[in-house]
Amino acid sequence: MANSNADKDNIYWHYTPNINYSVGLDYQQDKISNKSFPSARFTYLLNRKNTATSQRNLYLSTGVGLDHSSNYFYALSGDWETRRVFAGFSAKQISGIGYDLFEQSIKLGVAPYLGDYGDLHTWLMVETKKNNFDDKLITYPVLRLFKGGALIEVGYHKKTDWDVHLMYRF
Amino acid sequence: MKNLLLLVLSLSLTLSLGMCLTLFPITSQAQDHEMGDMHSHKGHMHEQMVDGKALTVDADRFDKFVSDIAGDQIAVISVQGMVCDFCARGIEKTFGKDNTVTKIDVDLASGKVLLAYSPETEIDRAVIEKNILNNGLNATAIQVLGK
Repeated sequence: MANSNADKDNIYWHYTPNINYSVGLDYQQDKISNKSFPSARFTYLLNRKNTATSQRNLYLSTGVGLDHSSNYFYALSGDWETRRVFAGFSAKQISGIGYDLFEQSIKLGVAPYLGDYGDLHTWLMVETKKNNFDDKLITYPVLRLFKGGALIEVGYHKKTDWDVHLMYRF
Repeated sequence: MKNLLLLVLSLSLTLSLGMCLTLFPITSQAQDHEMGDMHSHKGHMHEQMVDGKALTVDADRFDKFVSDIAGDQIAVISVQGMVCDFCARGIEKTFGKDNTVTKIDVDLASGKVLLAYSPETEIDRAVIEKNILNNGLNATAIQVLGK
């Protein structure tokens, strides 16, 4: 998985031994402090609810630096989706990277069409973010596309520039 | 007088039934349907009653699935939580590793997974259920045809 936005570039590889948790390695280039941080990450599925038409998830994530630095993060995130509608949230605290950052976000989306298994799937989304640096809400559109094991997500706001997320599932 | 009452009663029943059919049309949220709807002309395997219960599956999709696997057993699995193609990839990957599975179909619209097994396979429903669960989903029903 790779992310790029106004605050950072990072590449993240993770392995999921079972549905309850995943472990991974993350390498981040922080654009605010101009520092690089390799870190280990752990994500735990706190709760999942499946129905015939929906799935709801709640995750707890945490990570620590691997370069003798004291950086770490912890986050709570969740989502609920059907084949047509998506709603997700995230609250993340990052420390030890030269500054402390607390970031919250909400994402809502709708699928303009329902593709079959193996088709190109499209989501039109809106994300709202807020952090402790800038106490204002930033809202911007996001386009999510995925086909097979590949996913790309692109968002843009004039203040925060492009926000790109790439993922491939092996 | 008696005939008039009978006439009024029958007209009332007819009117009520008509209003019900108009106000509450029979619709299906999912695309699969009961065996009373025979859309396919290719074959009628999907009509088969299984374990005393009607087989609920999209007829055209089922017929297409079995068109080139004569003699194989078919497992029809109802799955909860299968709302995302990206997330359902694991199911295809898991069952693809099983060399007794000859064909797989994932139907997101109806929440069904179709598995074709070679005729000599002893299908273990518990293994199927466990494999679905290991992918973070729930198998709510497993129906087996063909043996």
